[in-house]
Amino acid sequence: MIDRMKDIYAKHKIAAWLILLAILVTMPMYVSISNMRIVCRIMLYVILAGGLNIINGYCGQLCFGIAGFYCVGSYVQAVLMKTYHVSFWLALIPSGIAAALIGALVALPALRLKGIFLGMITIGFSELVRLIALNWTSVTGGAMGIKGIMAPKFFGIKLGGASKYYYIFLGVVLIYLFCTNRIIRSRVGRAWLSIREDELAAKSLGVDIKRYKILNFMYGSFWAGIAGAVYVAYSSYVDSTYFTLDEGFNVLGMLIIGGQGTLIGPIVGSVVAQVLTEALRVINIWRYVVYAGLIILMMWVRPQGLVGASGSMLAGNKAEKKKAAKGCVEKLERKEA
Amino acid sequence: MLSQYMINQLVNGLCQGFIYALIALGFAVIVGIVGLATFTHGEIIMIGAYASYYIFSACGNNLFLGLFASFCASWLVGILVYKLCYEQFLNVPEHISLICTIGFSMLLKNLAQIFFGTEKKPMLDIIDNRIYSLGPVEISKVQIVIMVTVLALSALMMMIFNWTKWGVALRSVSQNREAAALVGINVKQTIMVGNCIGCAMAGVAGMLIGIYYQAIYPTMGATLSMKAFAAATLGGLTSVPLSALGGGILGLIENLGISISSASFRDVFSFGFLIIILIFKPTGFVKRKGVRP
Repeated sequence: MIDRMKDIYAKHKIAAWLILLAILVTMPMYVSISNMRIVCRIMLYVILAGGLNIINGYCGQLCFGIAGFYCVGSYVQAVLMKTYHVSFWLALIPSGIAAALIGALVALPALRLKGIFLGMITIGFSELVRLIALNWTSVTGGAMGIKGIMAPKFFGIKLGGASKYYYIFLGVVLIYLFCTNRIIRSRVGRAWLSIREDELAAKSLGVDIKRYKILNFMYGSFWAGIAGAVYVAYSSYVDSTYFTLDEGFNVLGMLIIGGQGTLIGPIVGSVVAQVLTEALRVINIWRYVVYAGLIILMMWVRPQGLVGASGSMLAGNKAEKKKAAKGCVEKLERKEA
Repeated sequence: MLSQYMINQLVNGLCQGFIYALIALGFAVIVGIVGLATFTHGEIIMIGAYASYYIFSACGNNLFLGLFASFCASWLVGILVYKLCYEQFLNVPEHISLICTIGFSMLLKNLAQIFFGTEKKPMLDIIDNRIYSLGPVEISKVQIVIMVTVLALSALMMMIFNWTKWGVALRSVSQNREAAALVGINVKQTIMVGNCIGCAMAGVAGMLIGIYYQAIYPTMGATLSMKAFAAATLGGLTSVPLSALGGGILGLIENLGISISSASFRDVFSFGFLIIILIFKPTGFVKRKGVRP
């Protein structure tokens, strides 16, 4: 079944992508406004989880503080738009770059740390950023937040509301997918993968670990910052309660459920999480319990996630071991024959 | 000359540092000595606090009963954590069990919000709040009780680790699991009990925090586990006495920090301390001898 589908896909690759694109572009015409809001949220979390996927999934680092980068991006965007009256499109790039610079700052200790140390320092940093945003009242408005951020205009059309703003999300997601796809297939992406699989081996083969790790953190946090920047103009309001540790774990959960180390993983994770959120609205308070249970279940059954990179370090080397064992058996059988 | 205010802040910081030291001790036992990665420590603190709260409200003011309850409750949760997050993943890359503990901490936090309620619960007055003055130093009875409890527990733990056969077994497991199994140590059981001891320390610390701050709530653990980590890094996560020292220092830094700025910056100081330590001295101030990082 899956093989046949793959065959069909290989034959009509361009047609399949065009159909998908057509469905995505025309979506606001036949989907109700309340459902468009869900779609917008899915898109937002695709970018966020995608940024985290670059750090956790492709480079094998343990970053749990994605909310910090998200926070930096949104506040830079909000302050630029509100205080300095910069247009949305112009402010987008600086907010991404600001998050990327902070990412480089976090990557500096990350060069020497691993595992739980790295996880803790990213969490600490994320909380630090949030607390600064909460207490630096003169710039960020403190607990009151920044209100009344205008929706952007595109050639005179005001892109307010979920059904119009959807196109901005869609554009950013497509650019993210395109750029990341190119980068993962380039020299840089292969360096990241080699760091994930075996840092020592990569180093001995001449991969500049320091440079590529910093690049990795900068690229991942850049997209988290962009996600924040886009979200600010969508919700027209920002305060520090958006960026708690729980939000970071939420995004991490999506990535884990969806799958790490593949492009489609964050998309699947985000869709699953949002659909779960809507489906479990009836038992509202139990929602996160189910969510947390899913994370544990995923680690037990499929550590790389639903559509994650199987056969990699992320899968706990289970697939490799199985393959190796199979190979041994085959060799023995051949010998006996 | 130190003003009265500064002296009070020093005493408060020291007392808080003692609690942090107890949390950091548990953390150092789990992460450093047993060699597991955990993110549930904060939630276990919360479980311990709630266990003692319900015992206090059911059975009245009996400190030892509360201590026993929080100890047992967090021990049981420790077993659960071990079964769910560690037992299957002893031989696979560490990040899997790490993410598993994150999931478990989310689970505990949200279950606590459902069953215990999201609002802050006031802890009962277990100890009458008498204040003793020793010259310029003023110290309350609560603070004395906390310090004595922490000292007694850590002395007990040091005795167990250094002088009993089981402590030696635990240290051998932390150095090399295969070799420990070869000489007939039940590795899985040793790891489980080590994990449970660390958790139980956290549970007792939760009770002490409840008594000290007079308020407990389901999300109280999130920043506390981070502070424990900050304190434990000072000892490179492996040295128990240095972790305790780190806890003391952290408490002092926080209270001196907020005495020169405002109270809302409390966490900023501890996280800043954590990041500075991790940047400049990620291995802590201890020389490693064949111990897991």
